[in-house]
Amino acid sequence: MLSMSGIRKNALALMTAVCTTLFLASTPAWAQDSAKPDPNPGALTITGSIDFLNQYMFRGIQQNNTGFATWPAFDLGLAAYSGDGGLKSVNINFGTWNSLHTGNTGQDGPSGKLWYESDFYATLGFGFGGGNSFSTTYTAYTSPNEGFTTVKEIMFKYALDDSGYLGKAAIKPYLAIAQEFDTGPGRGQADAGAHAGTYMEIGFAPGLAVPKASIAFPIKVGLSLSDYYENPLTGEDEKFGFFSIAGIVTVPLGGTTSFGSWNVHGGVEYQKLGTTTEIFNGGDSNQVIGSFGIGFSY
Amino acid sequence: MRRSGRAIRWSSVCLAMGLLVAAAASPAQAQGSTDPNPGNVKLTAGFDFANAYFFRGIPQDDTGVIMWPSGDLRFALFSGDGALKSIGVNIGTWNSLHTGRAGSDGPSGKLWYESDFYTGASLGFGKGTTVGVTYTAYTSPNGLFGTVKELSFKVAVDDSGFLGAFAVKPYMVLARELDGQADGGANEGTYLEIGVGPGHSLSRVSLAVPVKVGLSLSNYYEGAGGDDTFGFFSVAGVVTVPFTSAPTRVGSWNIHGGVEFLVLGDRNEAVFGDSSHVIGSFGIGLSY
Repeated sequence: MLSMSGIRKNALALMTAVCTTLFLASTPAWAQDSAKPDPNPGALTITGSIDFLNQYMFRGIQQNNTGFATWPAFDLGLAAYSGDGGLKSVNINFGTWNSLHTGNTGQDGPSGKLWYESDFYATLGFGFGGGNSFSTTYTAYTSPNEGFTTVKEIMFKYALDDSGYLGKAAIKPYLAIAQEFDTGPGRGQADAGAHAGTYMEIGFAPGLAVPKASIAFPIKVGLSLSDYYENPLTGEDEKFGFFSIAGIVTVPLGGTTSFGSWNVHGGVEYQKLGTTTEIFNGGDSNQVIGSFGIGFSY
Repeated sequence: MRRSGRAIRWSSVCLAMGLLVAAAASPAQAQGSTDPNPGNVKLTAGFDFANAYFFRGIPQDDTGVIMWPSGDLRFALFSGDGALKSIGVNIGTWNSLHTGRAGSDGPSGKLWYESDFYTGASLGFGKGTTVGVTYTAYTSPNGLFGTVKELSFKVAVDDSGFLGAFAVKPYMVLARELDGQADGGANEGTYLEIGVGPGHSLSRVSLAVPVKVGLSLSNYYEGAGGDDTFGFFSVAGVVTVPFTSAPTRVGSWNIHGGVEFLVLGDRNEAVFGDSSHVIGSFGIGLSY
């Protein structure tokens, strides 16, 4: 059951978006634009983070059950186009996301190696009027310590930033569909099942900003459209993978400096698991995840 | 047999040369007025292709195509006019992907032969002198060598201020293995590298001629006959062409290519089966 990969891309994207959004929202105006000029007015944006967690669940699928996980990540964004027409922006991102484990799937596991997961991804994103955006992402989920076989995936995501309509009541809904490819029985699949899976995630991320901190409440549900959550006992595909609700507090470390914008963040997530993911989780249908970390945007 | 070490860092040389040349080729007024990144965080990255990979003269692979993606972030923590001119911290990764015997055509069937993580700090002093220390973890995602952890110290002198176009930019690197070994031998080794990097810039192209020698101070090139002091001698020619004459919104990009001639010491010759080798490479570089 540990022959698969991790939550990462969505979690990273969400955490990054949440932290960046909330950080910017919570940074006093004077810190953003008065005394300190933008240290990076060019078209490249660098983001990075390192997070620590007690538990790593990838789309509801358990990845470790002892020790803790460390998630270093790095992303390079290229603003390829911006305009005032129907198409507002074109962005290209690529980066890496990693999971280092001290427990049973890392240093204390059969390989004796810490580096459980290393993902590479590339994204092409289009921004349209009204806060609509559409992106497609290719991800290769690899395991340097042989904890799982490489999973290749193409994902399409639609998101709406409804801040312009709803202001502080914005919920920022999104829909993502991901398809695994280049698979075989037990190989190249998050569930290590017999067939390549198709995954759908629906979520939204309301938030609240106060002067020195901000809080986000991301909520999401993960579903199998086809063979994504294959039951290891029956082989049946289970539609419901997980439901998640979290609270994340982000505190900016000063304003924008010549070293970019830094923050510390921490949160608690509760996951309710489906039948297949419950089996992967050792028969427990509930999972609580605690995390904290540091983020950087330049 | 020769999977017991890792890579030559030839791409790093190419990238560094390329970036220097790209920057040098940009008009000063363009650099001053259109710098897209005036802050204190700098990104450099590269993607290179080579026909062979030797790490400090230790053969790694000479089959298939070898690719070297890399990225480096530098935080400029301090700059001043006193004896201490600058303090910088770097963090980065360097990787080697192989289609041949050490990669997808090898026993693991996996492309990703090597992934290195490093972090370091450097101090800049007057007269172009810099002193740096770097920790590096050399890992093999496809499991063909054991992780090597190393601490290295480097002293470099940019003598351009004294010698102008005749500058040779000498440097010396002293590296100590902390855990794991590049030579797969019995004991952790100590490595010494001495090199120079003369070059010449034209209006749209530049040429660098890095020359270096790698030596074992202790157990770095362990072979059947014990530790071999001489590891390798290398001379290369690297041509770099910047895409633009000035930095753009997406930084300064260049293409570069070169040929390196490598003479191996007895230990490395015994592993490789030949006393010399020619390595060709080309790639693309970014500085932002």
